[in-house]
Amino acid sequence: MKHRLATGYLILVFILLYAPIIFLMVYAFSQGETMTNFHGFTWRHYQTLFSDTRMLAIVANTLLIALLSALIATLIGTLGALSITRTTRRVTRDSLLTLNNVLMVSPDVIIGASFLIFFTMLKIPLGFGTVLLSHIAFEIPIVVLMVLPRLREMSTSLLDAAQDLGATTRQLLTHVVIPFISPGIFAGFFMALTYSLDDFAVTFFVTGNGFSTLSVEIYSRARQGINLEINALSGVMFLFSLLLVAGYYWIQQAGHKRRRRKREVTS
Amino acid sequence: MTEPIITLRQVTKRYDSHTILNNINLTLESGKFYTLLGPSGCGKTTILRAIAGFMQVSAGEILFAGQRINDVPANKRNVNTVFQDYALFPHMTVAENVAFGLTLKKLAKSVIAERVAKALKLVQLADYGDRAISELSGGQRQRIAIARAIVMAPKVLLLDEPLSALDAKLRRQMQVELRALQQRLGITFLFVTHDQEEALAMSDEIFVMNQGEILQSGSPVDIYDEPINHFVADFIGESNILPAKMIADFQVAFGGHQFECADAGIPDNEPVEVVIRPEDLTLTTPDRAKLTVTIDNQLFRGDYYEITATDTHDNHWLIHSVNPAEDGTTVGLTFRPQDLHVMRFGEKEAEFDARLETYDDLEDDTVDQT
Amino acid sequence: MRVSKPTMTWRTIPLTKHRTWAYFLPYGLWLALFVIAPVALIIYQSFFDLGHQVTLNNYRTYFHSATYLKMTANSAWYAFLITLFTGLISYPTAYFIHQLKHRQFWLLLVILPTWINILLKAYAFIGIFSQAGLANQFLTFIGVGPQQILFTNASFIFVATYIQIPFMILPIYNALDDLNPAFINASRDLGASSWQTFRHVIFPLTLPGIKAGVQAVFIPSLSLFMLTRLIGGNKVITLGTAIEEHFLTTMNWGMGSTIGVVLIVAMIVVMLLTGDQKVKGGTPR
Repeated sequence: MKHRLATGYLILVFILLYAPIIFLMVYAFSQGETMTNFHGFTWRHYQTLFSDTRMLAIVANTLLIALLSALIATLIGTLGALSITRTTRRVTRDSLLTLNNVLMVSPDVIIGASFLIFFTMLKIPLGFGTVLLSHIAFEIPIVVLMVLPRLREMSTSLLDAAQDLGATTRQLLTHVVIPFISPGIFAGFFMALTYSLDDFAVTFFVTGNGFSTLSVEIYSRARQGINLEINALSGVMFLFSLLLVAGYYWIQQAGHKRRRRKREVTS
Repeated sequence: MTEPIITLRQVTKRYDSHTILNNINLTLESGKFYTLLGPSGCGKTTILRAIAGFMQVSAGEILFAGQRINDVPANKRNVNTVFQDYALFPHMTVAENVAFGLTLKKLAKSVIAERVAKALKLVQLADYGDRAISELSGGQRQRIAIARAIVMAPKVLLLDEPLSALDAKLRRQMQVELRALQQRLGITFLFVTHDQEEALAMSDEIFVMNQGEILQSGSPVDIYDEPINHFVADFIGESNILPAKMIADFQVAFGGHQFECADAGIPDNEPVEVVIRPEDLTLTTPDRAKLTVTIDNQLFRGDYYEITATDTHDNHWLIHSVNPAEDGTTVGLTFRPQDLHVMRFGEKEAEFDARLETYDDLEDDTVDQT
Repeated sequence: MRVSKPTMTWRTIPLTKHRTWAYFLPYGLWLALFVIAPVALIIYQSFFDLGHQVTLNNYRTYFHSATYLKMTANSAWYAFLITLFTGLISYPTAYFIHQLKHRQFWLLLVILPTWINILLKAYAFIGIFSQAGLANQFLTFIGVGPQQILFTNASFIFVATYIQIPFMILPIYNALDDLNPAFINASRDLGASSWQTFRHVIFPLTLPGIKAGVQAVFIPSLSLFMLTRLIGGNKVITLGTAIEEHFLTTMNWGMGSTIGVVLIVAMIVVMLLTGDQKVKGGTPR
């Protein structure tokens, strides 16, 4: 009885979680113009979407910003994590971690508004550059947080052993440390990617007039009312998200497997 | 014989196709100290969990004072558990932890306070009531876990490897204290451990387990002196186990010689195994010896020397001797007939006990004759 | 956001001082330019009026204006309601999922919607809550008749709750996962019923997860300006909406920054309230 109640509750919650998403995607195939009654199947909205050059350009911009910012943020974040772990004094390390997390907990509007002031003061024109810089900025802390645990797991004896066997500092970094923390780096990269794709508020503040990302575009179109082209877009984006999630878990699994295999070889 | 407090009848536990417990029968009497002894994964903790009510068995009956309790939930059973990692609630103080069960019973505050104080005093931590769990050492946590269980005045206390996290010295001290506590409270203790030394030191009766089955039960002395098979002999204490052949009653052959022994009731010429404990072997000169061996190595263990040696048939021997030997020399070994213990392959406990019955009288006769 | 302390491992490698600095430089620059400078700038900006004069007027206006104070109280109240509803829905969900056989898979299903752009989810509700939308069709079907759902406070709270649920489920689930099952057995062993075990053991020990969830939900809920615009129809003004309006519409950055400072203070208060307190015991696990 209790079991049934729990199952029923979970089913309700999952319906609540997925109904709007499925609703959105189903209407992408409706012949009508609104999300009220389904008027029969059509690919028309997808055709509109794929011939909408403005939208396609924005998709390209969004992907470019996401990939570029995630790459740079991963690089800086990994270096940051290495530096944080290397600090000797506990106080320094704790303060660095606190500062690192400021952007993680700050509301988006605060980040957006403060970056807007920052760019305006430095007289940097708003557009692609400011959006890219902002994305890099708010992605760095998540990369640090994903890399740090792996660094922490790395035992001192592992490094001692490598040095004992004659590894130089550079070799230690490239042959031992980086391979060991690579799952964390990958995870950080993926998280950075999703943060970038997901962001609306920060971009909205620093984007100016000439440049737009998907989130901002959806916002301005949604304010004008229902447009089933957006539904079609949501279908495409959902598929893309699924691929990202699958890719992320595949990499994590592969990492696990590789590590397991390595352990089998060494033991 | 006192009334059995816990009885397990043909208890079996399966997970999918994996059998964890296979047809377990055991009886615990009131006021005794019992130990379930076996290697990890042998099912001993599963028995404890079945009695505590943390899991359902697949088949068989669990009786408490004659009443079937298979379907009684854990919180309604008059048994309490001391957990391996203590499971002291980290968000409560020591006193709150000990009082937890009594508070649920809605006893008067004064009664609770009195019983908690008494329990804490019993484990010698009377002044620790206001401490946080995190402030306690391992040994103190151990005692609080015991206090929390015994404050409930259970008929049976289940202890799941409670000493495994303690260092060697503290463990020995706690063995003494646990035994004393059990005798003072007069309730049944069922103690689970993989440490044979612990089991031998504390128990009235030991159940030796392996792979979901009880192989042998009995007093520590019985199990040590008369292990039923290779596994028990090897698991409990150190031993020399050699392939042998039964020649006749009280005559067994191994290492190229025939020896007098104390076992009978086995068909002549049956292949068997012989156990000799290292401390029962005495070093002597080759001319007085029953066997001659060459010394390979020796380690000084403080109160004795642990000597390894090889005989002419390439059998390895482990000898505990108070006197040192010299590496590479050939020395003699002697032992008494009763130091040899013969084990049949595949003999079950019931058959073993029955066989002992038949010749125990016989043996007494022979003793009388001499 | 709570982060446990790293042990000293990689730091034991001797690097020259020069090299260490080279590694730290990009990260340090980021810290200075994009963490410290912006926060400093928003505080600095809050002391300027429209005419670029240094002034305390923004704060004076804020604390003397019934509109601003009411807006702040409203925003906090709505964030509280959103957090409360999210918590009420999420705790049982996390608890039941944790008892499932393939719980990792179900947890993944909880996370999946967070990978979908928040604006698309908000947009879906514009359709669902519209005059002839799914919600109203349902209301007509059960005999209530169509209602104005979109652009109401209730719809804002509903959609915000919908969006925040996964962020509350995750930390609670993790807290449940961290709970040593021996505690539950110990509680049962000492005579506690299922409910007593939940009330006295499971709930108090998973409180850190709830607090983490509150942090993850309450603070963003103070600043969800796109939802107030798209779903709330500007009826609900959150701190976030006010900041956006001052920065991007009325261009009164000083006042916008002042509200930003208020938001930062609110954030710090929430962090302190839900932060690590000294718990009575450690976690012997």
